[in-house]
Amino acid sequence: MASFILRKAEPKDVSDILRLIKELAKFEEMEEQVILTEKDLLEDGFGDHPFYHCLVAEVPKEQQSPEGYTVIGFAMYYFTYDPWIGKLLYLEDFYVMQDYRGLGIGSQILKVLSETAVRTRCSSMHFIVAENNTKSIEFYKRRGAADLSFEEGWRLFAIDKEDLLKMTSK
Amino acid sequence: MDFSIRAANVEDCKDIARMITELAEYEKVTDQVKITQRDLEQDGFSKNPFFHGIIAEVPEQHKSKEGDGKNTDSNRNKTTVASDKKWLYLCFLGKGIGKALMSKVAQVIGSGRGCHQLNFTVLDWNKSSVDFYLHQGCTDVTTDMGYHYMSCKGEAMEHLAQP
Repeated sequence: MASFILRKAEPKDVSDILRLIKELAKFEEMEEQVILTEKDLLEDGFGDHPFYHCLVAEVPKEQQSPEGYTVIGFAMYYFTYDPWIGKLLYLEDFYVMQDYRGLGIGSQILKVLSETAVRTRCSSMHFIVAENNTKSIEFYKRRGAADLSFEEGWRLFAIDKEDLLKMTSK
Repeated sequence: MDFSIRAANVEDCKDIARMITELAEYEKVTDQVKITQRDLEQDGFSKNPFFHGIIAEVPEQHKSKEGDGKNTDSNRNKTTVASDKKWLYLCFLGKGIGKALMSKVAQVIGSGRGCHQLNFTVLDWNKSSVDFYLHQGCTDVTTDMGYHYMSCKGEAMEHLAQP
């Protein structure tokens, strides 16, 4: 039975965080879209104005992965705002390495995030899930999450930097 | 029609609250609006603001029947999901104000803060908004990539937080 700790990420963790971001992106079949670097993560997460917060899950050395990793899961989140209900906690990425699943690490991460949301007086936690990721959807729904795309018709839209800049010159 | 686009300040919170309510009425969800003018003042204009606002304003001679010429577009910080909460009075539609608001958002976050992408949500039945955004080069990530927007709130969130 794996023992693990959850802790706030520190600057030294950026290499592991990037590794896990890429593993999750690979699972979502979009690894080539990760352009973020360790330097970005360091500047954006540990500067004067952090743009994200991170929780990491770590196991003792005796339970490290075959490649020697002890940081085996993470959650990246930030605070955002909804004009109807105010402060929200937005869960951006949430991943536990395959060999460490089914041990309660994911549930514990979610519990800590919810505590954080309640403590900071957030009205809600929001996040996105790929519709073909049925295991994750069921995991969240079992815990009371609602699918706003399905239930209320909300669609996520994106516009990239190139088109953003085109708009400024029009 | 003459209009100006500028950053919101704390005095605008009364108008922002008014327009949030009006937009919620349009989206048929007024019962979901819990936020007050005071919340906006505290959360948007303290040392660590949770949101930034951009205002479109018309001169006195163009003011609406209700006596105020302000519209708002609320956006969020750097790389976060931004709401599409943009609202224009019917009499001010078709004057290029919506596009100017979005252009200002793009300027602040694109060239200004070096953001790579703007994300936001739109209701699927809001055809005029959907068409407007698609025309500006946005993509529907829910349709194209199957991402669903999930929420865990109120009792469900508090239950998750319990030991």
